[in-house]
Amino acid sequence: MARRWADDDDDLMGALQEAFRAERDVPREFIEAGQAAFTWRNIDAELATLTSDSATGLATAAAAPVRSAEASPRFLTFSSVDLTIELEIGPDGIIGQIVPPQPGRAEARPASGPVLDTEIDDIGCFVVRPLPGSPFRLHVATDTGHAGISALTTWITL
Amino acid sequence: MHDDPTVAMLVRRARDGDKQAWDAIVVRYAPLIWAICRRYRLDRPDADDVGQSVWLRLVDQLDVIRDPAALPGWIATTTRRECGRVVGVARKREVLGYTQDVAEVPDSDPAAAEAEVLMAERNAALREAFRELPPRCQELISLLLTDPPVPYAEISGKLGIKIGSIGPTRARCLQRLREYPSVAALIGADSIPARR
Repeated sequence: MARRWADDDDDLMGALQEAFRAERDVPREFIEAGQAAFTWRNIDAELATLTSDSATGLATAAAAPVRSAEASPRFLTFSSVDLTIELEIGPDGIIGQIVPPQPGRAEARPASGPVLDTEIDDIGCFVVRPLPGSPFRLHVATDTGHAGISALTTWITL
Repeated sequence: MHDDPTVAMLVRRARDGDKQAWDAIVVRYAPLIWAICRRYRLDRPDADDVGQSVWLRLVDQLDVIRDPAALPGWIATTTRRECGRVVGVARKREVLGYTQDVAEVPDSDPAAAEAEVLMAERNAALREAFRELPPRCQELISLLLTDPPVPYAEISGKLGIKIGSIGPTRARCLQRLREYPSVAALIGADSIPARR
């Protein structure tokens, strides 16, 4: 039978060494980005998943984060239960529209860096400028109705 | 898969909004995600992308994870799927017009996949057990693991113990490590051969 990792003290020391090596390999920022992901837990929103992407010709699996090709502008559509979010990604910003049209606020929330906050006008249009840090998610909150609608896209990578 | 009480507790606390518990989960399993990304030979931006996707999904899924013992397996599976997606997109960019299958990534062997998860569990348990050892044990083991090796005479000087006591002290410290609950559980359950 093969030797096992805790059979004697030298084996166990080897296993410890391996455990620390595996940990040392991981960049600090990789861990910090993972820890920062917890802030998403406080956002109570429907998930809006990607339903079309001009860069891939798409039919992506639901909830698969988006990864770009070079071509621009790029058109993305996200759908949640109550909202459709259409985005046109230009070189220096994003033009968006929500359907059905209604006013509210949109926030681009990058994995790290500042949140870009913008107003959605009465016909559901908004502009995010400059381009947010990549990857980011878009959070849309509408003013209409009793509570309004809150929807959050999957990750968008530019 | 064995049941690690630490993981169950961390998941429960994170579910209740405890950021520290979440941070601990990330510290514990980031090496697993990273190692899988390496195996897929992802570059840094792609690995970051995969890491983000996995953690984000976990944040979304915390409430529905019924069996925390299944967490490492879930993380590994999600990471492999995300790596496959990223590799697939990269290939599509290279080979325009062709949709290539991403299946040949070295991953289809379920035994290897399970070994990867077990190894991550073992590493996490060992690191945690080590950090629970008395400070002198931690110092001694750290010195003994230093590469290149620190001479015994120097260790003896640094820690103020006789050269002849280093071996027996190490043995006692390692015994405590073996008795740490999550390590003990793994020793009982596990049969991964040592890397020699």
